[in-house]
Amino acid sequence: MAFYLEEQNISYGDFTVLSDFNLSIKKGEKVALLGKSGSGKSTLLKHLFDIQKDSCTYIPQELGLVNNLSVFHNIYMAKLDENSLFENLSNLVFPSSKYKQQILEVLKHLELEDKLSSKIANLSGGQKQRCAIGRAIFDAKPILLADEPISALDEYLSDKTLKLLTSMFDTSICALHNVPLAIENFDRVIGLKNGSILVDKACDELTQEDRQKLYYVCD
Amino acid sequence: MFVTKNLKVSFAIVFVGFISFLFADLSVSTVDTTQLVKDFFFSIIKLTFNDYTTLFEAFLSTISIAIVAIFISAILGFFLALFFQNMFVRISLSFTRAIHELFWALIFLQIFGLNTLTAILAIIIPYSAILAKVYAEILEEHDTFPQSLRGKSKISYFIYTKIPDAFPHLVSYTLYRFECALRSTAILGFVGITTLGYYLSSSFMQGYYNEVWMILILFYIVVASVKWWFNKYTFLPLSIASFFYLDDFSGFSWDNLVRFFTSDIIPHPIRNDLGMDKTLAWFDNIFSNEIMPGVFNTIVLTQLSLLLTAVLALILFPLVSKKFFTKPTNMFSHVILVILRSTPEYILAYIFLQLFGPSMLPAALALMLHNGSIIAHLMGNETNLLKLRVDVTKKRNEKYFYEVLPRVYNQFLAFLFYRWEIIMRESAILGILGIATLGFFIDSAIADFRLDKMFLLLLVTAFLNIIVDLISKKARAYLRANDSFTSCGCSLK
Repeated sequence: MAFYLEEQNISYGDFTVLSDFNLSIKKGEKVALLGKSGSGKSTLLKHLFDIQKDSCTYIPQELGLVNNLSVFHNIYMAKLDENSLFENLSNLVFPSSKYKQQILEVLKHLELEDKLSSKIANLSGGQKQRCAIGRAIFDAKPILLADEPISALDEYLSDKTLKLLTSMFDTSICALHNVPLAIENFDRVIGLKNGSILVDKACDELTQEDRQKLYYVCD
Repeated sequence: MFVTKNLKVSFAIVFVGFISFLFADLSVSTVDTTQLVKDFFFSIIKLTFNDYTTLFEAFLSTISIAIVAIFISAILGFFLALFFQNMFVRISLSFTRAIHELFWALIFLQIFGLNTLTAILAIIIPYSAILAKVYAEILEEHDTFPQSLRGKSKISYFIYTKIPDAFPHLVSYTLYRFECALRSTAILGFVGITTLGYYLSSSFMQGYYNEVWMILILFYIVVASVKWWFNKYTFLPLSIASFFYLDDFSGFSWDNLVRFFTSDIIPHPIRNDLGMDKTLAWFDNIFSNEIMPGVFNTIVLTQLSLLLTAVLALILFPLVSKKFFTKPTNMFSHVILVILRSTPEYILAYIFLQLFGPSMLPAALALMLHNGSIIAHLMGNETNLLKLRVDVTKKRNEKYFYEVLPRVYNQFLAFLFYRWEIIMRESAILGILGIATLGFFIDSAIADFRLDKMFLLLLVTAFLNIIVDLISKKARAYLRANDSFTSCGCSLK
């Protein structure tokens, strides 16, 4: 079991967003969280990350990139805790070719290999998102928690990136807006509305009524 | 009905300023003022200096002291900024900040004597405190990385997530401070250290006004060209060269240092165990004869100068604004404002004092010209950013009062409040020139070698500054002035 929540109250600041919340997610499951903004997706993801920091990598909506650093450095940051202070410092000033090679591999999957040394400040919104995804992949933890990671990507890249994410991580939980992409790329969908679960089913068991409900929660 | 917060605050400033006018002594006491002024200003046409080697060395030592001092202050300031959340650090830094570098120089003169060490310490101590405060603010402002993503290795995360975004701002503020350090170092000459101020005052006293102009004009050139000779490529070689250039650190003595803190500054009735009554009498005497009049005069001069600064800034800013005048006028006014704001208040006050004789007039004029030109310059920049509609009135007065001033008035008040603390600090220090503000009493206490009294008066001065700083913060919060900033306001702090 990757996550098991039973009758939990989860709050954002002082405000309880999800009350008496039940959820269990098995290891290896690919779950899409669907719902409008304000439905509690972000709060849920943040909570899941807080209770299992060590095995999760987390892509927040605001991405958490450092504007004045290059794509290389922002992706390398996933390894800050693993490496020594000395190694971190030397990579800040002189990026080592070993890491450059590894990170370039990640960037190739994201069609971003020409941006290795570009500053984040000079990237477009979609490029920034892919850089944050690159960091998550480089982090190489078993569980991915991603909060709308493809909201600024076009259709082709959205599909490609989601396939990449679900294949790279053993377990992945992604907040999304796009119902067809969710059903196509994930094993299970959860539809959230005002802090409670309206739909929670495996994708191959979805009825027409379930699909309508999903479109309804995303509207 | 139309009474806004802005108006209330402005009214308070004007009212207090007027009251101060009534108490201020603004008399002219030189015998032949017009002739003196004429002599002084006409000698600009025949620039000379009798000994160019000395002049060159004075410039070299001024510049190298400023470089070494800013180098060390930046390092100290950065480390202190990391602990700025700590209450003890915060309070002690606001105290060190509140004491002017000239006062620090006077203190170190007593401990280490007249040498380079004294000069460097006098700059480093207040400057590292100021840098620490502003660095801490910059680091906090550029803290955009989400807390939840921050890992366990705190130092690595600090270096990767905070420094990169804050770095350009840290550098540009440090460079601005370097310019200030040049001015401060030059002024240290007035207490006897052989920087520019020393030669300036000795030329002045001998009536060699052409030499005074020579020094001033060369100094403007040095300050105006800072960004071409002190930048990321040159700062390291220049710092190393300055370390080697400077000598005369011989004055350092532990014994003096220890004696200063354990004996010299302890009130003498306590030091000599004269009992409670004597101690109270000692304090009471200083309180009624020096602290009261000193504080009163310092406040009078500050408030008067604040009002004058405000008026001058409001008159001058259209001259540097594209919204009011064409390029030639803008350019010319820019040059004048640059000259006014790169002349330290202290030097301006010194010149006016020689021309008009001792009263509050020279000090008030100096504070008005220096601070007024700084605020006018910043206001000019703010108004250039304004977007007025296409069919805006062509009449200048109407444009000024209806379109431009209402839009920038909040910023104007914020600028004024930022400069308030600085005006107060300068008002105190200008006492050294003979106006009965706190600096006057501090200077005489040192002359009489009564360091216990000096220390008490310094504490009062620092305390007064901290109070003004707090009121200014409250006022800015009341006006919500900081929200309306478009520039960083760096040159105000």
